[in-house]
Amino acid sequence: MREQKTNRLHDFVRTKGEVYVWLASMGLVIGLTMIVFLLGLILWEGVKSFWPEPVAVFELRQDAGGAMQQIAGQITKEQEKAGQATAAENAALEYQIRTANRDTYGSSYRYLDSSQIASVTYPSGLVEVERMEFGNAVGFPESVVFGKSGRTVASGSEEFAGALAKAVQDAATRRAQIEKIEKKEIGSINAEMTSLRNRERSLKSKDEKTAEEEKEIAGKVGSLQGEFEKLATRARELRGEQKNDVLVLRLASGETRTIATGDIVGYFYPNDLGFFGKLGLFFHRLVLFLIENPREANTEGGIYPAIFGTVVMTLLMSVAVMPFGIVAAIYLREYAKQGFMVRCVRIAVNNLAGVPSIVFGVFGLGFFVYLAGGTLDQLFFSETLPTPTFGTGGVLWAALTLALMTVPVVIVATEESLAAVPRGVREGSLACGASKWQTIQRVVLPAAAPGILTGLILAMARGAGEVAPLMLVGVVKLAPSLPLDGDFPFAHLERKFMHLGFHIFDLGFQSPDAEAAKPMVFATTLLLILLVVFLNLFAIIIRERLRKKYATGAF
Amino acid sequence: MPDPIDTPARFRPSKAVLFVDSVMTYFVKAGGVLVITAVLGIFAFIFFQIYPLFKKASLQEMRAVAVGETDYKILGMDEWGALPFLVGEGGVVRFVDLAGDGQISEKKVPFDSEKNITAVSWLPEKSELVFGSEDGFFCVVAVNYTRDFSGGNKVVASLKAEPWIAIGPEGSRVEAIAYNEGSEGKLAAAILFSPENGGKKEVRAVTLRQKKTIMGAGKLEAGIPFDLTEKAVKNPDRILVNKGADSVVVASQEGEIDYFYLSDGALGLRQRFHPFEGAKDSRIATLNYLLGGVSLVATNPEGLNSVWSLYVPEGGNSRVFGKTKTFPAMAGSPDAYANSLRNKEFLLAAGDHLSLRYGTTEAVRWDGKLPYKVKLAGISGKNDRVLLLDTEGKLHVFSLDDPHPETSFNALFGKIWYEGQNAPGYDWQSTGGSDDFEPKLSLVPLIVGTLKGTIYALIFAVPIALMAAIYTSQFLEPRARRLVKPTMEIMASLPSVVLGFLAALWLAPILETRVPSLFCIAVLVPVTAVLVGYALSMLPMSVRQYLRPGYEFLIFIPLFLLVSWGGWELGPQIEKLFFVVPDPATGGQIADFRRWWPLVTGTPFEQRNSLVVGFMMGFAVIPIIFTIAEDAMSNVPVALRSGSLALGASRWQTARYVVLPTAAAGIFSALMIGLGRAVGETMIVVMATGNTPIMDMNIFSGMRTLSANIAVELPEAPHHSTLYRTLFLGAMMLFLLTFAVNTAAEVLRQHLREKFKTI
Repeated sequence: MREQKTNRLHDFVRTKGEVYVWLASMGLVIGLTMIVFLLGLILWEGVKSFWPEPVAVFELRQDAGGAMQQIAGQITKEQEKAGQATAAENAALEYQIRTANRDTYGSSYRYLDSSQIASVTYPSGLVEVERMEFGNAVGFPESVVFGKSGRTVASGSEEFAGALAKAVQDAATRRAQIEKIEKKEIGSINAEMTSLRNRERSLKSKDEKTAEEEKEIAGKVGSLQGEFEKLATRARELRGEQKNDVLVLRLASGETRTIATGDIVGYFYPNDLGFFGKLGLFFHRLVLFLIENPREANTEGGIYPAIFGTVVMTLLMSVAVMPFGIVAAIYLREYAKQGFMVRCVRIAVNNLAGVPSIVFGVFGLGFFVYLAGGTLDQLFFSETLPTPTFGTGGVLWAALTLALMTVPVVIVATEESLAAVPRGVREGSLACGASKWQTIQRVVLPAAAPGILTGLILAMARGAGEVAPLMLVGVVKLAPSLPLDGDFPFAHLERKFMHLGFHIFDLGFQSPDAEAAKPMVFATTLLLILLVVFLNLFAIIIRERLRKKYATGAF
Repeated sequence: MPDPIDTPARFRPSKAVLFVDSVMTYFVKAGGVLVITAVLGIFAFIFFQIYPLFKKASLQEMRAVAVGETDYKILGMDEWGALPFLVGEGGVVRFVDLAGDGQISEKKVPFDSEKNITAVSWLPEKSELVFGSEDGFFCVVAVNYTRDFSGGNKVVASLKAEPWIAIGPEGSRVEAIAYNEGSEGKLAAAILFSPENGGKKEVRAVTLRQKKTIMGAGKLEAGIPFDLTEKAVKNPDRILVNKGADSVVVASQEGEIDYFYLSDGALGLRQRFHPFEGAKDSRIATLNYLLGGVSLVATNPEGLNSVWSLYVPEGGNSRVFGKTKTFPAMAGSPDAYANSLRNKEFLLAAGDHLSLRYGTTEAVRWDGKLPYKVKLAGISGKNDRVLLLDTEGKLHVFSLDDPHPETSFNALFGKIWYEGQNAPGYDWQSTGGSDDFEPKLSLVPLIVGTLKGTIYALIFAVPIALMAAIYTSQFLEPRARRLVKPTMEIMASLPSVVLGFLAALWLAPILETRVPSLFCIAVLVPVTAVLVGYALSMLPMSVRQYLRPGYEFLIFIPLFLLVSWGGWELGPQIEKLFFVVPDPATGGQIADFRRWWPLVTGTPFEQRNSLVVGFMMGFAVIPIIFTIAEDAMSNVPVALRSGSLALGASRWQTARYVVLPTAAAGIFSALMIGLGRAVGETMIVVMATGNTPIMDMNIFSGMRTLSANIAVELPEAPHHSTLYRTLFLGAMMLFLLTFAVNTAAEVLRQHLREKFKTI
């Protein structure tokens, strides 16, 4: 009896302020949900952009669609029709449909009301063709016409699949040849010509031009010109051949269109693919996305140059930031006399990490590009002036700017890990007769190495994701050539480069057809986030291990 | 180094070790100091880039050339100031070769017939002289300067005269002549004196035609004549035609000004005003147009100087002159005026007092006394030479260095009355279509935009981040905590370009139609949290014991999702109830918050607005505030917490009355660092706002922040131009602001660390 009573009393004991604990938990929940939701959204949209969707054929009601009775496309968005949300009317659904065939319809997207649609079918045999221009084409294949032999293979016949595959394959081989000639061979001839022209100009400006040299240069230029002509003719011939074979396509709306096989990048039958077929296509597209050059104002094709540019820039930045950051940290922690001044410097360096990145961009533009680059141009590249070589944004200046931006991160991390090396270890080493530098080199630095690495990785992650300063010091939407290639001197640090982050900005913000670019932006975003998140996770894991290792030894 | 104790050789360090050690010591010291200096040198570099913005003009006398004591009327020159000319009595034109030894060569004007010259004026923008004759004719003479590279780099001048054209009645004398050419046409105006007319002065004007032929421009011909005598002021004294050649300004000897405007083939009087009315001497000493022909610079014999600009006054419908600027008075009656052809700079000279002034900013760029009295003045086209003719017949050549006259403290941070506006204001508009555009470089709208973005971001981020930090550090189960912190750190590392892109292309279109839903969620979520928390804490202990402390968030996750969904769906219903506006297209009623907001508040609703920016920037700031605040709170010594709990305080009481006050400095520093991040955030703002430099706090309109402004404009800004340096100034402000805020935060944190050490 008595026990029961206490229990009941206990039941009504109220802890003060539990409500606030709940309120506080809401903050955490909102934060966590938002991050999970955002990452999930990017992951979903990014993956979706590679996944082949079936193509529906919409039968339109007589009164609605005008002349067009049928239209094929993928549903990309479903929404309530705008401006009809008053209570009286029933909200009609509106579909956004990716119709492809931009060359025929004028736009890749179209909006349909649910009231317009009579029926939706997913007919087999529909082919989706990825083209070099005008986005994708969707339609029913009619025939393949071979221009040279005049042979026509109708889609009904058994040979059709093989014939189409062969024609497209041939075209792809020729395209690779053309690219090799135009990019590589003609490119290297151009590079040689430019260097000859520069030499001529510098000779002229110094008044040292002799008749022999002039002749020599003219001769070389002449032979290069000849080679160039030959290659150009060959490329022209190949280009002509690209138009020989055509695929005849009947669109869902009835028009017949021909596509030269030279314009076809790839094709597939979206409604006839099984799960594994789709999966295969998914990976195929993913790989192409990673290794191909962009097409059509970056909205199609791959992002290989952007990946390459990001990696080269980040690596250059690490090479620049690591020695300086570590030396500065060793100085501050091991050599400088600890006092008010060093404390001030430490605070100042720490706070530089909080200075907006755009400020570093401004500094990079003023100091690296205009001052350092301009001086370099005057000293070493005066023959090409007023066209700047280093006096304009480039991958080197971008890397140095970001190095300056991230040097505080490295200094702080290195200092912290140096401080975490137990005093006993140092004293032991000194007591054994090692000099100060020997102690640092053989004892302190190895012990602090993981911490330094963490700092470096965090710096790389920050550098890889930063865009604002790059916009001032050398990133471009489309770079004609990579910063590393086969032309002497192989590393072209003065070149402008492409960057994943800027690619997102450019596609999402400056693209003429933002809607069509959306899948591409999400895919690029996913890649950038994966890169940054993995770098960060890596750093966090190293740090956690380190913490355990020094849990007893610190301070 | 002598060894005090005789250490045996085998215990001595080898020379190589000592050498390496000392080398490395120097290397590390030098390297460390170098890196730190370089990093801190950023500040110095940016400072040197912006310093010229605040420099005054410099005028250096280079030489003086004697040109003879003739009564010269006009001083004109070429773009480089290398071959100026003087026009004296009777239309004599004398060129002074300043590139050489100051030789004077007289050139005859190739008039088609000889007439007695009685008036002359000079159009520096067109490089044309206009002569008026004793018998009522005028003639336009082009002064063509070309560079001759054959014998070194020399400037050569040639004169080309159009035919004489009648502007007044026969026998009248041209007293003053004005002429200008616009894109639409040409107009000449003159004050004439005809003795037959009883000595009354006449004001006449005439439009001009020029036929374009295959051979180039044809000869000038007279078009429509106008007689303005009846309409114009009595005793006309000065006459001007503006750059557009569509208006005539006539000033009387008494100091009244008439403004005639040409429209529909008629020159009508639009305004009469008296600039120095009420002054001791209300007459006019000089009256001239500034570059662009929109502003008049007037002075009176006392030396008072004001600028009158054309603008449409409040409620008016046509542009009239109004006083927009007042400059400090000159020492005497000004007699020489010259304006720059690059910007709104002008030069006034009154006796030996010379003053270089900037029309837009009311700034005196250079002011001083000369050892001689100035009669005529001129500024070269490149704005790098000033020529002064003194009363003793000497031509003084000055080099002028004033690359950034547009900026001053007032121009960057104060209200400026720009041409064409009807009131002074804060404006940012750095580039315009024409040469005579006034750059508007007020940083105030950018600062306001920065603050606006920051405030909205912090309003959203601070409560969430602090609540999450309190919960994570004080109440959360430790195992979950080890997961939460890295997640938040990853959130902090999300590139801002990703957040910006999501804000602009994903969030903005969604939020555009769902504003009421968002407000529903913002109200419902905390209310539910409080209600559910209260209800659960009221449960009997026998039930409550199954709710393990530290796991509250697990219950709240589904609850939060449910409530958010509910709020999302409730939004349109609320919209239908409260935000109904008449549809102008159909006349019916539609529920649309986007239209309701401008209708009710009068402020615009834009798709890319501060709400979107605040949300996404808040997202970027939350993890930063969270991490630092959480660190500060979990570093509060355990003894304090244990003591509080042991004395019977509940966990909330411990958190509220023990942990929070102890960690207050750390939490404050977290807020400061969050603020620093929001202030400097660039990509989100560039992408998710319209980047319009406006000055309001409306949550549904965009903004332009300092950082976005740099990102948008710096790539296009020419090296070392005023805009370039002004953008550097913006960067400097960002730098100083964030540096100051972060330093304060860091000092607070160190202070906190010291405090904890003693506990």
